[in-house]
Amino acid sequence: MGILSLLIFLPLFVTLLILVLPESAGRMYKYLALGITVIQLGISLYLYQVFDVSSAGINQVNGYQFVEQLPWIRMDLGSIGLLEIDYFVGVDGISLPLIVLSTLVMLMAIGASWNMTKSGKGYYALLMLLNTAVVGIFSALDFFLFYVFYEVMLLPLYFLIGIWGGERREYAAIKFFIYTLLGSVFMLLVIVGLYFSVVNPATGAHTFNMLLMMDPGNYTPDSFFAYANTYHNVLGLEPRLIGFIILFFAFAIKVPIVPLHTWLPDAHVEAPTPVSIILAGVLLKIGGYGIIRVCYSIFPDMAALTNWWIALIGVVSILYGALNALAQKDLKRMIAYSSVSHMGFVLLGIASLTAEGVSGAMFQMISHGFLSAALFFLVGVIYDRVHDRYIYNFRGLASLMPKYTAYVAIAFFASLGLPGFSAFIGEAFVIIGAFNAESMATGLPRWMAIGGSLGILLSAAYFLWTLQRMFFGQTRLFGGQAWQSALTDLSAREQIVLFPALALALLLGIAPSLIFNNLNSSVLQLIDLIKPFL
Amino acid sequence: MITLTHFLLVSACIFCIGLYAVLAKRNAIMILVGIELMINASILNFVAFSRYDKTNYGGQIFALFAIVLAAAAVAVGLAIILNVYRQFKTINPQNIHELKD
Amino acid sequence: MNGLLNISPVYASILVVMLPFFGFLMQAVLGKKSNSGNIGLATIILSVCVSFFAVFLPVWNGAPLTERMHWFTVGGKPFYVGVMLNNLTVLMQLIVGIIALPVHIYSRAYMRNDPGIHRYWMFLSFFCFAMLGLTISTSLLQLYVFWELVGFASYLLIGFWFTKESAVQANKKAFIINRIGDIGFLIGIALVYTHCGTVDLGELFGPQGVFLPAVNADGSWLTLAGLAFFLGAMAKSAQFPLHVWLPDAMEGPTSVSSLIHAATMVAAGVFLLCTIFPLFNETVLLTIAIIGCITALSAAIFALGQYDIKKILAFSTISQLGFMMVGVGIGSWDTAMFHLATHAFFKCLLFLAAGAVIHEMAHFKATHQLDIDPQDLRNMGGLRRYLPTTFVCMTIASLALAGFPLTTGYLSKDSIVVQAFEWGFHLGGIYLLIPTTLAAVSLLTAFYIGRLLFKTFFGKFKFAEKLQKGELHDAPIAMTGPMIFLAACCLFPTCSFHPFDYHQSWLLGGFHVKTAFAAVAEMHSAVPLVLTLGALAAWGVGWRWYVAKRYPLSKNNRWVRFATRQGYFNEFYQLLFVKGTEQLSRGVYAFDHYVVDGLTRTFSAATRRLSVAAHWFDRHMVDGLVNLIAGTTYYVGHLVRHVQNGQLQSYLGFALTVVVLGILYLIIK
Repeated sequence: MGILSLLIFLPLFVTLLILVLPESAGRMYKYLALGITVIQLGISLYLYQVFDVSSAGINQVNGYQFVEQLPWIRMDLGSIGLLEIDYFVGVDGISLPLIVLSTLVMLMAIGASWNMTKSGKGYYALLMLLNTAVVGIFSALDFFLFYVFYEVMLLPLYFLIGIWGGERREYAAIKFFIYTLLGSVFMLLVIVGLYFSVVNPATGAHTFNMLLMMDPGNYTPDSFFAYANTYHNVLGLEPRLIGFIILFFAFAIKVPIVPLHTWLPDAHVEAPTPVSIILAGVLLKIGGYGIIRVCYSIFPDMAALTNWWIALIGVVSILYGALNALAQKDLKRMIAYSSVSHMGFVLLGIASLTAEGVSGAMFQMISHGFLSAALFFLVGVIYDRVHDRYIYNFRGLASLMPKYTAYVAIAFFASLGLPGFSAFIGEAFVIIGAFNAESMATGLPRWMAIGGSLGILLSAAYFLWTLQRMFFGQTRLFGGQAWQSALTDLSAREQIVLFPALALALLLGIAPSLIFNNLNSSVLQLIDLIKPFL
Repeated sequence: MITLTHFLLVSACIFCIGLYAVLAKRNAIMILVGIELMINASILNFVAFSRYDKTNYGGQIFALFAIVLAAAAVAVGLAIILNVYRQFKTINPQNIHELKD
Repeated sequence: MNGLLNISPVYASILVVMLPFFGFLMQAVLGKKSNSGNIGLATIILSVCVSFFAVFLPVWNGAPLTERMHWFTVGGKPFYVGVMLNNLTVLMQLIVGIIALPVHIYSRAYMRNDPGIHRYWMFLSFFCFAMLGLTISTSLLQLYVFWELVGFASYLLIGFWFTKESAVQANKKAFIINRIGDIGFLIGIALVYTHCGTVDLGELFGPQGVFLPAVNADGSWLTLAGLAFFLGAMAKSAQFPLHVWLPDAMEGPTSVSSLIHAATMVAAGVFLLCTIFPLFNETVLLTIAIIGCITALSAAIFALGQYDIKKILAFSTISQLGFMMVGVGIGSWDTAMFHLATHAFFKCLLFLAAGAVIHEMAHFKATHQLDIDPQDLRNMGGLRRYLPTTFVCMTIASLALAGFPLTTGYLSKDSIVVQAFEWGFHLGGIYLLIPTTLAAVSLLTAFYIGRLLFKTFFGKFKFAEKLQKGELHDAPIAMTGPMIFLAACCLFPTCSFHPFDYHQSWLLGGFHVKTAFAAVAEMHSAVPLVLTLGALAAWGVGWRWYVAKRYPLSKNNRWVRFATRQGYFNEFYQLLFVKGTEQLSRGVYAFDHYVVDGLTRTFSAATRRLSVAAHWFDRHMVDGLVNLIAGTTYYVGHLVRHVQNGQLQSYLGFALTVVVLGILYLIIK
């Protein structure tokens, strides 16, 4: 068993262990979960450390590292041929930073759920199952395996929101589940279509191997998804375009894009704090990762064809999310909408098809990962104390909770792109990349970059408004004296959870090369992959 | 002159009376009587038609045969009725519906 | 000192930047300590010493030095951080340090008893770090980082008294308006990066300081980039129409206003334009000149109508920044830098002196429990008897601002106005409007600062009857000392040994700017003469109006009110942008809630309806058919069942019926 498999299946093992342990060992669960996530973070950091930054990945199997490839399912289907499904995992510069991010966010989530009392057994078992699925998604290189992990991820989330959530948890859980399933069901169709179009040159059998799908030479001529296929047209559209759109749709729901974002505010608001953290910190990144790994790499021709529209969606998401955030009165909902806005930058950066833009998008994903996790955690802090998060009900918290205010201010300023913090690098390079797109002739007009940069302005507006409205001024609380005594400053545990996230934001803002070094070759490889089709 | 038709007519009348008794009576004895009447109607027919068999008198012989059989049947029938009466305390066939669903 | 001199200016300049940062870190770690000011003070003193001896002296008029270090690589493109030392940057760094030092000393006394003093020093050190770093950045991206950090420090310091609603409104406003400029700056960086492939100032402009076009330098992108950078400078330097944040920023402590919102940070916009001057083409320069001119005029007019002593100074700052912008716009950015340097001193001094006055007024207000605004000019008057040192310092600064001879302000302002006239004559026609306006603004400047001086220090103190002896007095030496130092710096020897000729200034000599227009000899004598006489006349009018109490205008004069309300810009912006954005965001949210999410809910409701309909169909139609068949069969069976009733008699009856029917059938057939 390779180190990557260990990383993936360690939490699954813990899930089983938790399920086997008797109920009387209730206090053990969280220590078990904590221990295993710490080990996971250690492993992922070790991987990050020994990662060879010069190898590119994307569409070359020898560019991937820590690769494990085992035959998983081999079935003779007679005339259709041999069914070839591999257990095929590996990482490149795109996926490894996200794996590190997800292990870190998981650790934060465990820290945030320390005081969880409601049936810990199921909770931690599901959390660990989710952990396995997430790391699996980021490292799977076989499309079938990818899909399996993708679906496994849904199950624990549904229960985590539906059982441990807020008032309207059932509604939110079902909405989330159906939305995601809607995307993934159609994705399955495309996966099957790709399977029948691609042949493994080594064995002559059809394959689910994603890397083989990225090579135009492996497509059987006249197959459904073959390049320049004109006589399988569906409704006058090229099949590859349809496949691309369907896959994009599936991942775009996860990102989420406007107008497929409405599950997000509901799910975030109703989910318990740790699940909000995971949702914002990791789950949204799966969308962005899927677009890069699957949509853009397998359909580079269509990526070049559609990037104008995708960038438009990105810009609309940025502005729309920011304006919505500005109108919110519920703190958590405000942050949920700000996620929509920030993830719009990811889409804009990816669609720019420039090295700067894609790097910026990746950086933005990572930065948003722990910053949004920190933001949701901060909302959780206040909600834990007074079970209210209506912005107008608070005023002048700075006098009451100075440490909390300092953390909130840092997190807000980091999120609104203050230089020195990671979000700045991400957003700035997305904007620069989008500008650069015109001179690289990738077909993005400059007004999109300018539109995106307006989002930076609006993000300042809603974060500062909240800061001013809730934290500054004379202390005045809706709950009066009761709240005043309930609103105690941050505890040591809360600071331990928050500090690394914000410190990391600062570290990456000052030394972005920590991420860029690992990204660069993969990003360039991706650009090279798409460039011939521009 | 009394012709075959008159015999047949009488026989038919007796048969009909017997038939009526069998169908309509609420008393097993009366039904038995009806049956007897119907047998007798047929016997009458045998006798009447035996006029055309002057060599063997087959009709007459059959009539005798039938009379004997009828007597036997009546004996058996009465015995059954008796048993039925013992079992059900009635001999109205409408009230005896143990086999009905 | 020799040891210090031996270190390379590059490392020395890094030390200059890092010392305040170190101070900031120390204070952050130490936390709530009332004496944390000592750390800030110590670091800034060291920083200034290093800046002067180890950076300024070796580099000034020497060869430019650049040292850079790889920061990160994106794709294949490397980005660097580093230090660029030339006359411009070391001068700016020195100015920042020299202004910051007196302000630090002043703050020791001014902010002494504030409960949040540890935060104050922390933020102040952080500001110094960012501002000093800004001056010597070698790449535009690095410059942008510090650019935003100074804005952030300014945000923190404006909202220092965070329980005061107006202060937190003001800092939000300041940051958001600065953000508009930042976006311009970022767009500019993106354009330069796109077209030149680098954002390194050294690579862009080279040692000669001319634009080195890696790609074709003509084309509209250059205009666009220039305008984008100018937008950044406009917001930071509070140029019309983005000036509205600066008057509000006066909600911060006065010492902060003097350092950040008068001398250093707001001048960063001008500094940026000077740094990237070769990038600008004709169109952009003209825009800069026009905007600068409008700013100078409008701010001077608004200053006339203000009653808050700090707001007058804020508008004066805006107006003077407009002068500097015109200096850049006409192509002689050396004069802009010159004015920046002199303005830094006298404006800082004006604020510090105003702070001393406010300090006393606030004290007076507290002892007598009056409900007055300690910053309101109308509550002052005749203070020169009680605060003589402050009065002298303020007068010197005012003279410098008004451009009277023997002051630095005279030299620098004249340099801009004279060059502007030369520029105007060179182009002729309508272009003369700009220098003419500037000359008019100079007179307005003299008038409003005269008004401030007269209303504050002359006449009779409004609450004289309540005043006890010795109650109003000069500030302690920790406050007056820095003021005296700055006052000395406002006199001509600081920058030129010739009191009347700005060409003799060592400062201008450091920049070798070649202008496109020819020198006009007459202007060099005519303009200073006219301006000085005009300023004297303006003060004369001011004396007559405010001291001799012959005020001719009615209180409700429309123009006065227009000036007092700052030209209704705040109301206009509030209505158009703030309310507009709020409405838009509400509209968008309503759209999101009712249309986008509504669509989702409609889908779900429709699906549920559909499922109900399908259920109905299934139950009544599909299942109904099955039930119908079963029911019919059952019913028929039910009917026929009666035949099989176990009654022998009925069986026979049926049999008979059938036979009869059969017979009838045979008969009928």
